[in-house]
Amino acid sequence: MLNLSLSFSTWMESVRLCFHITLRNWTVYKKDLIANISPTIADPALVLVSLGLGLGSFITNVEGMTYMQFLAPGLTVATALFTSFFESSYGFYVRMTYENVFKAMLTTPIGVREVVIGEMLWVSLKGAVMAVGVAIVLALCGLMINPWLIPATAIVGLLVALPCGAIGLLSTALVNNINQFQSVYSFIIAPLYFLSGIFFPIANMARPVRIVAEFFPLIHGVRLAQAIFWDKGIAHAFMVSGSILIFQSLVFCSLAYWKIKEKLIA
Amino acid sequence: MIIANSLVKSFGDSTAINGIDLQIKKGECFGLLGPNGAGKSTFINMMYGTVQRTGGNLSVFGYDPNIDSRKIKKRLGVVTQENALDESLTVFENMMIYCSFIGLPKLDRKDRINELLKYMNLSHKKDARIQMLSGGMKRRLVFVRALLGNPELLILDEPTTGLDPAVRHLLWGKVRELHANGTTIVLTTHYMHEAEVLCDRLIILNHGKIAAAGSPQKMIEEHTPGYMGIFSLDEKETIKKILSTKNNFIHHEDSSGIYLRSSTLPELTSIHSDYGLTPLQIRPSNLEDVFLKLTGQELSIDA
Ligand SMILES: Nc1ncnc2c1ncn2[C@@H]1O[C@H](COP(=O)(O)OP(=O)(O)O)[C@@H](O)[C@H]1O
Ligand SMILES: [Mg+2]
Repeated sequence: MLNLSLSFSTWMESVRLCFHITLRNWTVYKKDLIANISPTIADPALVLVSLGLGLGSFITNVEGMTYMQFLAPGLTVATALFTSFFESSYGFYVRMTYENVFKAMLTTPIGVREVVIGEMLWVSLKGAVMAVGVAIVLALCGLMINPWLIPATAIVGLLVALPCGAIGLLSTALVNNINQFQSVYSFIIAPLYFLSGIFFPIANMARPVRIVAEFFPLIHGVRLAQAIFWDKGIAHAFMVSGSILIFQSLVFCSLAYWKIKEKLIA
Repeated sequence: MIIANSLVKSFGDSTAINGIDLQIKKGECFGLLGPNGAGKSTFINMMYGTVQRTGGNLSVFGYDPNIDSRKIKKRLGVVTQENALDESLTVFENMMIYCSFIGLPKLDRKDRINELLKYMNLSHKKDARIQMLSGGMKRRLVFVRALLGNPELLILDEPTTGLDPAVRHLLWGKVRELHANGTTIVLTTHYMHEAEVLCDRLIILNHGKIAAAGSPQKMIEEHTPGYMGIFSLDEKETIKKILSTKNNFIHHEDSSGIYLRSSTLPELTSIHSDYGLTPLQIRPSNLEDVFLKLTGQELSIDA
């Protein structure tokens, strides 16, 4: 009984510390809110205008809808991908290597577990908020069949940001210098972005590419977002793609924790 | 309070700490002195588990830092070698974040921060961004951060490296005050004078091993007793002559000058009266002399 209550209080303290790490990131982030938030808004807007309006005028029918309608769910998911990946790769790397944030943090009761969970909590909350933000804009453009489903995009944002953030964190642990993120971006993130069914139907992709893409979170997030935006088979999508995303989150987060621990504890 | 037995830390195939035995008692100010790369930070980090030892035993407050680091960390404050402050935040915001990390009760936070900012003469900078602070102010703020939790044990990792003499003296004063009030202090430095001024006991660390241990006075008495005269390198010939007639000097030289040590002051001053040589300096022998004697000159250059 004593043991149980003891471990419960340890557990509660751990939760409290994770929460404070998230809060710390928010405090720093909001200092430069405009600069931090603008790419997240500007990037999907650019894609929507250039591809949606430009390319879209040539493509009149994708799976029975306009190209803009087809593109909308993917943009929400891409936002969650980029915001989480960049935060936990470049962002975390800078905090770790140049700002020595964790050297000071680890002198407090905070351990590596809290650092990783706090960071993942932060990127997934950010992913959720950004996804909702983009979804609101898209819904205002009339690209969401049922705007009452906007809150559901928060779950998509969260479920995509979590594993993508973990991939970012994992790459932080593996790169030898900050320039190597460029390779991670060019060889993993960018291909995922273009080959996960955001820009054209998944069925049109070459089979090997499709199989590889299944192992990464993006494609499942796209399916989930499409179900929500098109109001089609939502329950099924949450059950299948949602479960896969949760599973992938667990795998990538565990790998990231294991590797980051080697970086922070010598 | 802190006990190390045959403590070892290897990073792959390089050994940073190579078999250290020491005990640090409650209320003591204990120094780890050594050149860059001697293993000072490695030892410090092992005390709270950020570096995991690979051999021997280590106990802090009776806990094993490899296992119970959180219990240890709750009772200590650290002035880390790197400042590690959030540059874009203000002084006050930085400290509030730390209060939340160490779990200080919400209602006490403001008062505690104000009190310590005042103690470190930083009250006027409370709302300044870290970017706007001088190096000395940042260092003082790191002291504030380390003291927020009112720690029993204060760890200072090169607290004054790179600071101007005024800030250094101010910080020494504060460290002495904290020591007088019963805080146990573990301090690393490569300034011999700093160790001599502050520490009750110290070890000289070299290549991960203890080269000497004891109180500063004892170490000087044991290894380099007496007085030191330092002469210009231009006087080489004359000094050679002196040494050939008098053999009660201990002599060595490096790029900074010729060092003659003798057990009494008159012997040194006689060089001036008998040979007309004016020394650059005559002073009581100090820790630096001990250090150079024990670790070899090539290291002082490294430091
Ligand atoms: N994380 C690490 N990985 C590999 N080697 C390390 C690591 N940290 C320290 N070292 C090595 O251990 C030795 C002691 O370093 P350190 O304890 O930082 O010295 P000091 O603080 O006395 O200047 C150095 O040779 C350093 O290169
Ligand atoms: Mg060091």
